[in-house]
Amino acid sequence: MFRKILIANRGEIALRILRACRTLGVEAVVAYSEADRDSLPVQLADEAICIGPADAKRSYLSAPAMMSAAIVTGCDAIHPGYGFLSEDGGFAEVVRAHDLVFIGPPATVLERFASKESTRRLLANHGLPTIPGSNGILRDDAHALEEGARIGYPLLIKPAAGGGGKGMRMVRTPRELEASLNVCRSEARAAFGDDSLYLERWLDENRHVEVQVVVDRYGHGVHLGERDCSVQRRHQKILEEAPTPALSEAARTDLCSRAIRAVVAAGYENVGTLEFLVDNAGNYYFIEINCRIQVEHPITEAVTGIDLVATQIRVAAGEPIGFTQADIEFRGHAIEFRINAEDPERDFRPSAGVVERYLPPGGPGVRMDSHLYAGYEVPPFYDSLLGKLIVWGPTREAAIARSIVALDELLVEGIVTNISIHKALLASDTFLEGKMTTNLLDRVGGAAFLAAAARA
Amino acid sequence: MASDRSRDRTSAERSEKARAADHAAIDRLADEFLPALAAKLAATGLGEIEVREGQWKVRVRRPAGEAAMQQRRGSDKASRAQPGHAGHGHPPAGLEGHRGAQGRGPVAHSTNGSSPSLTPVGPGDGADAAAAQQRQDARDEPRSTRTVATSPAVGVYQPRPEVRLGTKVRSGDRLGAVDMLGIAQEVVAPADGLVGPSLVEPGQAVEYGQELVVIELTGEG
Repeated sequence: MFRKILIANRGEIALRILRACRTLGVEAVVAYSEADRDSLPVQLADEAICIGPADAKRSYLSAPAMMSAAIVTGCDAIHPGYGFLSEDGGFAEVVRAHDLVFIGPPATVLERFASKESTRRLLANHGLPTIPGSNGILRDDAHALEEGARIGYPLLIKPAAGGGGKGMRMVRTPRELEASLNVCRSEARAAFGDDSLYLERWLDENRHVEVQVVVDRYGHGVHLGERDCSVQRRHQKILEEAPTPALSEAARTDLCSRAIRAVVAAGYENVGTLEFLVDNAGNYYFIEINCRIQVEHPITEAVTGIDLVATQIRVAAGEPIGFTQADIEFRGHAIEFRINAEDPERDFRPSAGVVERYLPPGGPGVRMDSHLYAGYEVPPFYDSLLGKLIVWGPTREAAIARSIVALDELLVEGIVTNISIHKALLASDTFLEGKMTTNLLDRVGGAAFLAAAARA
Repeated sequence: MASDRSRDRTSAERSEKARAADHAAIDRLADEFLPALAAKLAATGLGEIEVREGQWKVRVRRPAGEAAMQQRRGSDKASRAQPGHAGHGHPPAGLEGHRGAQGRGPVAHSTNGSSPSLTPVGPGDGADAAAAQQRQDARDEPRSTRTVATSPAVGVYQPRPEVRLGTKVRSGDRLGAVDMLGIAQEVVAPADGLVGPSLVEPGQAVEYGQELVVIELTGEG
């Protein structure tokens, strides 16, 4: 096991990693930017080190600053969390070159899965169904139009390097495709430093279902079930649940078993998530793999009882997983609500400022992962995630009933949050019936959901 | 050193009692007034604060380069003295935690033109005090204060060997470098002045924004 881990992230995930380190008996150092000097992970840390100014490019995204911080504090491993440097193969290689361990897939594995487009082909070769799409990276506009005509509209333009919905766009006509390519390229370049794009057929009514896997360096892999992340706004997940209400137990087992077989065969290592689109008929298509711990990992922890972050650290340290597929028992239902500093009444505009009051909810099955405290100033420089409310119940209905109580208890004053949209979702028949699709919020609009909830 | 001698001469001209009173007053100033005034100055964003109490007068001024530095740091919070500082049980401290030699934030003017510590403007009582006041008024407006060069990166600090205590530097002059993974990040003087005490040892690990070298300002305050 590691002796000391540098936590190369901020906010709730820095806190989550700190807690995992403590339960493993590993020392941790929190690396922070000047804007996060007063943040909760810095205050709770045994050790913290300022790595740069508020600008993420010079702090959380700076590989030299992170690496230097790890060296001067005597760390032997770096946990990148999610976002920032978490899927940066170059950074993983720098860490390895300095004889430290990157807590995630090894650099070679990250490289192999770096391009979404080639990963799609790789896992298709290992038996996963994929959505019809372009044959490789788009060379130019003419190639895009040619491939568009072959696949058929509507289409989704996707950056090969990215995630999180950046640089992604749905187009219905060749004209829209042509008009969108440059925008997507520049968004992709800005977000990932790589502007290669590819095309996929757009499935109009679909669900986003993802499979959590863990693979150790000895080639043993287990899946920890799936998560349904169909409640999205502009490709950003806002609520996730496990298991998915969209598939039967047999179909879920089939999906997860195929997913773990394929990634183990393809040489994956560490924790990862395979994302699938599921259509109305229950067909599923592999779309991409996320080579990191994900925001929504706690719902998997809630239904399996397994500490995913601690498992990730153990596996990165070279330990075997320590349990088999047969040991994993799925219990009940869990829902995660992402609490964001966004105003649903104003088109989810981000907000920043001082949290004047903060009262987290409690009770059986209720977990709040958040870096908030009363008096904390939410800096305007980073993403809007303030925390995650995770609610478990023995059944989906029970989890929803507890969620309603928990969301009512949760109090954040001083900044605007999206709590109202979660309450509205829990009052919506579509959600209660388990029929959310990824485009529903965008199609109907957040305002309509809020209005419907207000009437109810 | 020259400044110490000149102060000794000044003191010798006065009675033992007045000197004792001065020292007591200086201690009280350093321990009580100055931190409070410095914090006040930082909180208000004012350039200068002057406080009178009895026959005492204390003026605290933010050095010219200081406002910009404060802004760049984007926080009034104390920097941690060491990288990998102990965070647990240490709520972020305000400027109250910083005094004199640390040099962060506003610093009291020295009125003798060179001493790094603060000097009361009007000491003693009676005629002695009046005389002192007169001497004080005869001097130039306070002009010397200090600022601090901070670390531009997280890494290992090495001062330039030719930069020594008392070396005259201009704003932007290189004082040393912080090695961040083989990349030398220059530590520069934030203002014209004389190199003061070093706050870290050569070869010491430092974090971003950490205070490294005091610069005694020589220009207009």
